[in-house]
Amino acid sequence: MNKKPIYPFTAIVGQEKMKLALILNIITPGLSGVLIRGEKGTAKSTAVRALAEILPVIKVIEDPSFQLDPECEYDNYVEICRALNRTESESPAKLKVKERKVQVVELPVGATEDRVVGTLDMEYALQKGGKRVEPGLLAQAHRGILYVDEVNLLDDHVVDVLLDAAAMGVNTIEREGISFSHPARFTLVGTMNPEEGELRPQLLDRFGLCVNVQGIGSIEERVAIMKQRILFDENPAGFSKKWRQQSAELTARITRAKEMYNKVETSEELLFEIARACLEVGVDGHRGDIVILKTAKTLAAYHGRTEVGLTDINEAVELALPHRVRRQPLMEITDSVESLRAKNRAA
Amino acid sequence: MITPLYPLAALIGQEELQLALLLNAVNPAIGGLLIRGEKGTAKSTAVRALAELLPEIEVVSGCRFSRRPARRDELCLECRGCDDEPGISRRAARLVNLPLNATEDRVAGGIDFPASLKRGRAILQTGLLAEAHRGILYIDEVNLLDDHITDLILNAAASGRNIIEREGISVSHPARFILIGTMNPEEGELRPQLLDRFGLCVKVRGCDELERRVALLTRREKFDRDPLKFRAAFQTESDDLRRRIKAGRRQLRKVRMPPAQRIFIGELCAANNVAGHRADLMLEQTALALAALQGESEVRTEHIRRAAPMVLRHRQREAQPPQPPQPPQPPMPEPPLKNNNQQDEEKSENQEPPKEDGQEPREAQQSTGRPPDSASEEEHSAAEGQEEQAEAELDDSEPNQPPPGLEDSVFEIGASFRVKKITTARNRTARRGSGRRSRSIVSLKQGRYSRAGRHGLQGDIAMDATIRAAAPYQKSRSGNLAVKLDPQDFRYKIREKRLGNLLLFLIDASGSMGVRGRMAASKGAVMSLLLDAYQKRDKVSMISFRRADAKVNLPVTNSVEMAGKLLAEIPVGGRTPLSAGLIKGYEQTRNFLSREPTGRPIVIILTDGKANVSLGSAKPVDEMLKIAAAMTAEKRAKYIVVDTEEEGLVTFDLASRLAEALEADYFKIKDIKAEDLVNIVRKKQ
Repeated sequence: MNKKPIYPFTAIVGQEKMKLALILNIITPGLSGVLIRGEKGTAKSTAVRALAEILPVIKVIEDPSFQLDPECEYDNYVEICRALNRTESESPAKLKVKERKVQVVELPVGATEDRVVGTLDMEYALQKGGKRVEPGLLAQAHRGILYVDEVNLLDDHVVDVLLDAAAMGVNTIEREGISFSHPARFTLVGTMNPEEGELRPQLLDRFGLCVNVQGIGSIEERVAIMKQRILFDENPAGFSKKWRQQSAELTARITRAKEMYNKVETSEELLFEIARACLEVGVDGHRGDIVILKTAKTLAAYHGRTEVGLTDINEAVELALPHRVRRQPLMEITDSVESLRAKNRAA
Repeated sequence: MITPLYPLAALIGQEELQLALLLNAVNPAIGGLLIRGEKGTAKSTAVRALAELLPEIEVVSGCRFSRRPARRDELCLECRGCDDEPGISRRAARLVNLPLNATEDRVAGGIDFPASLKRGRAILQTGLLAEAHRGILYIDEVNLLDDHITDLILNAAASGRNIIEREGISVSHPARFILIGTMNPEEGELRPQLLDRFGLCVKVRGCDELERRVALLTRREKFDRDPLKFRAAFQTESDDLRRRIKAGRRQLRKVRMPPAQRIFIGELCAANNVAGHRADLMLEQTALALAALQGESEVRTEHIRRAAPMVLRHRQREAQPPQPPQPPQPPMPEPPLKNNNQQDEEKSENQEPPKEDGQEPREAQQSTGRPPDSASEEEHSAAEGQEEQAEAELDDSEPNQPPPGLEDSVFEIGASFRVKKITTARNRTARRGSGRRSRSIVSLKQGRYSRAGRHGLQGDIAMDATIRAAAPYQKSRSGNLAVKLDPQDFRYKIREKRLGNLLLFLIDASGSMGVRGRMAASKGAVMSLLLDAYQKRDKVSMISFRRADAKVNLPVTNSVEMAGKLLAEIPVGGRTPLSAGLIKGYEQTRNFLSREPTGRPIVIILTDGKANVSLGSAKPVDEMLKIAAAMTAEKRAKYIVVDTEEEGLVTFDLASRLAEALEADYFKIKDIKAEDLVNIVRKKQ
């Protein structure tokens, strides 16, 4: 890509929790996304855009608007080709497959529903008497990362559509005479500034993890940030090159963790620990439990272990529960679940 | 899609939900199911899993309307043209998912443009209602569905037929389906009309037992690891369920309802104060299904008892949304004081509770779910201490300390009433959104198609107008379609729809509002407006100002219930920083408008206008008027001032001066009642 160079992920100073949450989501897309809440200028967007650099490579069926998995999504591919009036290759063996990095697809705040879910090209239909579906951003984001900046400012309609698709892993277009669906399993990454309004609880819950970011307090780190940023602005290409080694290492580590994830085991007592944590802080439903377990397993894999430890659970709780704690309207989303637990335990 | 489903048999807990689903599968006459509950409680999972378990149905091959063989009465336009001996095929019952963004023509059916052009006659494109016939129509988050789509579904569900009368098509076809909806009540309630349409209602919540939580977690983890293997492990259970549904359907015809039980049903419904007679019918059907599911041939009292909560839960009159919240409870008395209420009252009248005393109830109340701010309040009847307060009110210049009795009282909400129609003038710039307060042209593929124009939303083509535009040129054009179109012929639909507004409440909560029941009356007025906002699906926001500054009690939200809850808790006391309130309100308005530039917020200010705290060095009242005048620069916002000062010998009329400065509509509280049949907007124009 010859685009403007991106600030390298590994060169971001501080914000460890946010970086960790993002990495965990790359390792296990099943964590269903991360919501980054925080004030302006805390490298939220920088971090998400920088992800592109460290994302692993996947195999896809060659196609301009879909990222289908050649191994298990051939049927979908055939279906899509029919819907789009394309000629499909007749057998899985003849598919054109190429390798590409997982993509970060950005959803602008002003995006219309059409652009997000896809639509029928009406003018084409009327002039040629044929149907042509124009896939939307959700098609592009399949198996990738869908990044929504200022997710709390998004149109309600669009949010609903996103929710639907994120929950089902499938995007269904049911409008103006077309009925068409395609797989859309994406990792939803949202950033928001809570001062401008909260998210609807339903959407909040769909984000697997939630991180509150703050400006960094220590002078040393602030100075480090300024230094890095200046270096980058002066010579972006050179700067990125300097960090390339670290980026490659991180990518390798992510790939290793990905492979390891399925081998990670969790002992029975730790499962109880998870359930206890959820009960102690009081969360709605069971999504919290499930996400904690997955996060803990991913953490273990990331650290190269095949056994989940108590520290993994505790770390996972901090990432997975803050936004799920049942709270009074207008109560702040908590920064530390641990302190909340301690308080509830004492009470 | 090939994503494997989580089997119904593997769900842990949610017994009532599972039962309700099975009952619907056994007896479609029950009329659907509404699942209410918190997030992450397997609502959607369960519904999708049910579809797999439904028995296969016989259909006429190739019939787009899934006609039952040998049913002449279901003949549709197309079937009449079919051969007499149609083929029969079997297929699984469908689960049709109605996405929230579905357009009217996709739901009900509409014209198939490309095919129509090719063949030169109107060809119908069937909608989701046709597809759902004899299957399940599933609406996730049904409370967020747009109103005109809801109406379509209601019509079809009520009559069992879907009638399409639009754009040159006139067809009707059977559409009988099991309507299943899920909703999260936090997001707003359903219309009572739609609520009643669902046969059963089930509330779900997560389970609190440690062991079950872990069991659930383990299962889910196993499923995620290897879905196919997991499903195989539950194969026998799933088959068993399938058999039970089948057997139940057969049994259903044989189940008898003894007359005595029918009387019991009637009594039960009457005792529970339900509206209308649908509850009786539904209860009967549910009880029948329950008996059938258990393989019995007669309905017993237990069946009715088991079915009753599911049928009656959402139909009880008390459950009608949105109820004005209960007045806040008086603070929890300390254990030693618990004995006698009167004594308690006397105490609070005469003395301030000592500091340490106040500490404990605060904690107790936090756990029962009220913000700490309102914890230290004491119940205060409006008549008490009227005199001192009236004095204090006139004594604007007295520095700081208001009389101790005035500190932070919380008043209950006064009587609510129906409010007048408050709308903004019709909006000619296209807006987006939902709701039903003010009429507006919308840039959405929703709403009524009012006319056609050359410019419109990309792709939202008005077929009729387009063809009319192309008609004169047909001879001179070439092409292989029946109607030849050029880009310049295209006409787009201009749609019109009522949309919600933002109602921003700016509430004066200063000490002067505490006198003579002013606050109670104001709260009653706000409550009335909130009820109205609920019905019109407005967004609401609430700001109160007291003491030194203004506070956003409720940021812009759709949850009117939450506004109601918070309203009850707004404490009164302190001085009147009206300028700060106005500025906060203006900020909030601007903030909203930057998100929704075409929005039309309505700012409702409830105050007596007696500003006595200024932001700068100017006199409070002058400053207030100056700020108010500046606020008129935002032409998109509409202001309404509701004066809470009651008529009497001495009035200050400051609120009416405020209204003048704001170019706002001015009302006394009694004037916004619906009895005066004057439309607020009309009056202004």
